[in-house]
Amino acid sequence: MRTDAVASALRFHVEHETRYDYTAPVSQSWQLARLTPRNLPWQKLLSHSLQIDPPVDERHESPDCYGNSILHFALHRAHRMLRVRMHSTVEVGARPAALPGCARPWEAVRDQVLADASLDELNAARMSEPTRLVPLSPHARRYAASSLAPGRDWFEATHDLMQAIHRDFEFELGATSVSTSVDEVLEQRRGVCQDFAHLMLAGLRSHGLPARYVSGYLLTNPPPGQPRLMGVDASHAWVAAYAPQCGWVEFDPTNNQLADQRYITLAWGSDFADVVPLRGVILGGGTQRMNVEVSVLPT
Amino acid sequence: MPLLSKLLSGYSALPGRYDELLATGHRPRPHWEAFLGAMAGRAMPEIGDTLSMMEREIHDNGITYNVYADPKGTDRLWEVDPLPLLLPESEWKAIEAGVAQRAELLNRVLGDIYGAQTLLRSGAVPASVIFGHSGFLPQAQGIRPQGGVHLFHYAADLARAPDGTWWVVSDRTQAPSGAGYALENRLVVSRVFPQLFQDLNVQHLASFFATLRDSILRYAPRGDGPQRIALLTPGPYNETYFEHALLARYLGFALVEGSDLSVRDGRVWMKTVEGLQRVHAILRRQDDDYCDPLELRSDSALGVAGLTDCARRGTVFLANALGAGVLESGALLGYLPALSERLLGESLRLPSVATWWLGERAAFDDAWQRIERILIKPLERSASEPAVFGSVLGSIEREALRERVSLRPQRYVAQEWVQVSQAPVIERGVGHRLAARTVGLRMFAVATPEGYRVMPGGLTRVAADGNSYSITMQRGGRSKDTWVLSDQPVNASFSLLSATIGADDLVKARANLPSRAAENLFWFGRYGERCDANARLLRVAISSTLGREDSPGDTPQDSGAPLLELARRHGLITAEDGSAAALLRAATDPALGLGQQLQQLARVAFSLRDRMSLDNWRTLNRVHGDALFTGTGDAPLPVGTVLAGLDRIVIAMMTVSGFVLDGMTRGLGWRFLSLGRRIERLSHLCWALRVAVKEGRAHGLDWLLDLADSTVTYRSRYLVAPEWLPVLDLLVRDDTNPRSVAFQVKGLSEYVAKLEHEHGRFAGDLLAPMKAGLDALSPTDLDPDSPVLLALLEQIQRAGHMVSDELTLKFFSHAASRSVLSLVA
Repeated sequence: MRTDAVASALRFHVEHETRYDYTAPVSQSWQLARLTPRNLPWQKLLSHSLQIDPPVDERHESPDCYGNSILHFALHRAHRMLRVRMHSTVEVGARPAALPGCARPWEAVRDQVLADASLDELNAARMSEPTRLVPLSPHARRYAASSLAPGRDWFEATHDLMQAIHRDFEFELGATSVSTSVDEVLEQRRGVCQDFAHLMLAGLRSHGLPARYVSGYLLTNPPPGQPRLMGVDASHAWVAAYAPQCGWVEFDPTNNQLADQRYITLAWGSDFADVVPLRGVILGGGTQRMNVEVSVLPT
Repeated sequence: MPLLSKLLSGYSALPGRYDELLATGHRPRPHWEAFLGAMAGRAMPEIGDTLSMMEREIHDNGITYNVYADPKGTDRLWEVDPLPLLLPESEWKAIEAGVAQRAELLNRVLGDIYGAQTLLRSGAVPASVIFGHSGFLPQAQGIRPQGGVHLFHYAADLARAPDGTWWVVSDRTQAPSGAGYALENRLVVSRVFPQLFQDLNVQHLASFFATLRDSILRYAPRGDGPQRIALLTPGPYNETYFEHALLARYLGFALVEGSDLSVRDGRVWMKTVEGLQRVHAILRRQDDDYCDPLELRSDSALGVAGLTDCARRGTVFLANALGAGVLESGALLGYLPALSERLLGESLRLPSVATWWLGERAAFDDAWQRIERILIKPLERSASEPAVFGSVLGSIEREALRERVSLRPQRYVAQEWVQVSQAPVIERGVGHRLAARTVGLRMFAVATPEGYRVMPGGLTRVAADGNSYSITMQRGGRSKDTWVLSDQPVNASFSLLSATIGADDLVKARANLPSRAAENLFWFGRYGERCDANARLLRVAISSTLGREDSPGDTPQDSGAPLLELARRHGLITAEDGSAAALLRAATDPALGLGQQLQQLARVAFSLRDRMSLDNWRTLNRVHGDALFTGTGDAPLPVGTVLAGLDRIVIAMMTVSGFVLDGMTRGLGWRFLSLGRRIERLSHLCWALRVAVKEGRAHGLDWLLDLADSTVTYRSRYLVAPEWLPVLDLLVRDDTNPRSVAFQVKGLSEYVAKLEHEHGRFAGDLLAPMKAGLDALSPTDLDPDSPVLLALLEQIQRAGHMVSDELTLKFFSHAASRSVLSLVA
């Protein structure tokens, strides 16, 4: 990658389409869509639209407790198909650099987050607790322990954990499902970005370190000469870890790198369940078939 | 008083415990004297009678507590000790003030946790105590309920220390249960001691429930018609379903399950047969995270999709607010005294059991110094990780525990092991002696705009055996009524009907019939009639094949053949098995034939208990537990006993019909129930007539008249033995005979016409030709050889079933499968 490409902001056009086909009519459907890329100091949402087909009977938007924008919508008439299409233009600049200056033993980070509770640490403290998808796992703790050696610098240790996951686990689409647990992933040593992110969260949180789940997108086709990254065909997931002096630093265990301008942030939360792009409850519908298509192009 | 000393002989609390009954020197405490005096005045056998009377009462009222762990999912009967726990008014006043203060304090803490989080930021409460508890719901962040009331109702579990002071052992803040059982205990126990109850000036509970009802109405938003309150239950399989039904009935709230409610335009609606009706407040007996599959646990099939958002928009008042369960964290106890000073400017009136959060390093180290005297438990009640008493652990086990806890110390608390007080219970068995049992007191409070109000009484829970420390209903404890003894006569004229209901709030009964309840009423009608018809069928079949002295053998003769054919048709016996023994089995085996159908009836009735009168219940409960079904199986009951049992069932079923006829308002519910009965009776009649006609002239007609309960009518009209023409006229064409085909068709047509008038057409067209066909029957058609008759019977029977299907489609179809949840990668 050319250095000037890294330094200047990049613009992307993102399309994310989800389509459900039902074998029987759905009489009622309530849905939550988390499909609005976030506005961040380094990321600007230039345009955004969500088209829903068939037309919805009600919709309203509100932020969730993590600041993600949520669209609530509902359909109260019988339908056999539901399609949600998102179009966005996003500009991504350089993230604040994770300075080596924040070098502190990871144990100090753990203790400070527990003890000190200013607003940032409060949000961080919440992110060091187990969740339903990332429960406390002695296995994950043991796995992460070799990276989190006693007294080791927080950034170095976390970076090492990211590298370890990338080294020890194979990226394989279809190897896991949304319900595969962290322990199962540890057992079979294969998975997708979601599994790696959950594993890294489990390893960090079991040591009392705060980290959150980030969902977003990567460029579909790399610039000429660059390798194609993993996780480009659907939405991608990575981890943001927190240390008081460094803030949130984004690690991508799937691609073994820190997030840069190529990473478009959609939403974040404590685990995948908090950022599911489309989640709903329907009445009827028989069996359903779902199809998701994502494309990210430079503009 | 020799009887008193006899009663008390052998009674004593464990050493080191506070004795609720006796002071030092084995002398009763002053507030027990009057009670004991009256007890001693009763002869011993009378106490035995008292116990049996209470047991009968509890059985008949169907007071139960479901135990999840029970594989059969059966209801365990609630056990109530006849002796109430007595509290002098002065003592209660102190508890009352303490519980009210605590509720106020906890509500403010909740307001902060889901609001500004100042307490967390300032370190007054460690963030991990809150965030580390699964009861914390991030989705509830920023929701401010009406009046700032997160904690609408609250329960505190109290225990008394050896020095006589009351301590709070735990707080129930999510969906506190037990108030309904306290009410039921009161109803049972006050009936046992009516005179004492009056003489001792026991404070009444009714005003507490009235306050609860009035208060929830004051907090609930308005709009879209009269204010409507629903009690949201997880369903009949929940351990405290009995209480949900009881409270709903007592308070006049609609008892609903998640699938009865639906969210539209940011508001909550109840699906009724009249369409959607707005719900303004929900008394929630469903756990927080199961309340909304859309925003909370997606694997929940119980909740209401979109409920969280309605709470956020303030269109529904949730009691309690989502996320209130986080305060059940034991770790909070240690911080309450300081929080009370800080938030209320008062010192905490009721102390909590000494509790230390192990997330603090010093507390963690300290706990292992004093492990002998403490118990270690996780922040949240957990079946997989129960509380551990340090004193029972060996050194290796202690080390293992320390290892486990140190992995995540902030998930644990250490709690002092309290020697809880003991109170007398009546031991069953010879002499009915008094025995000492560990007791705990659950007190209830409810929010009002004028502050929290506390129930003058409570649920006293009793440990299962004399040495037990823990008291839980799930493990088989008993309970007691709690009497607060007033110094002055109490105002007994209080009524639950007060003046908060204005003309605008008058709800027509019919507007509150959820579709699910309508469906259950319909099936209650069908099953009730089915049980009645089959009990009659078995009675006639058994007496005609076995009960006659001239044919003691197993070969059915005479009228036996058509009756066995009918028994097969109705699934009472199998196609191969035509023996008379099979009939006896069908009549007595609780899992087959009649027993099974009565069980179905009981199950439907169970989910309707909020709509049934107590007497109705008692009748059903007696049938369900009739001696007919309690035989061992290896020794068949004598035929005479079986017939007598079937008589009882038939009479009971008639009693139930009597209630329906005489005691139910003629609303929509009654109409659905009646439709069910008519459809079922029509089907049974048609089968009997078809079989009779097919079997022809070989078997006589007495059985048919017996089956249709029309023997007396026939004899009063015709002085001859049954003949085809008059019998068929009576059972088919005579629309004044409530057991005729014409009567059912006429009734069905009327009910359907009324429903169609209000809800549009659905089945009237099916019935009109049947009526015409009956009217057109000529006397020559009333003959077993008439093809017209047989065809018409078949047609009518089919039409009956189609009406049932159309009804289901039109009114109950919301029961369609729900909650296909989608997670998108």
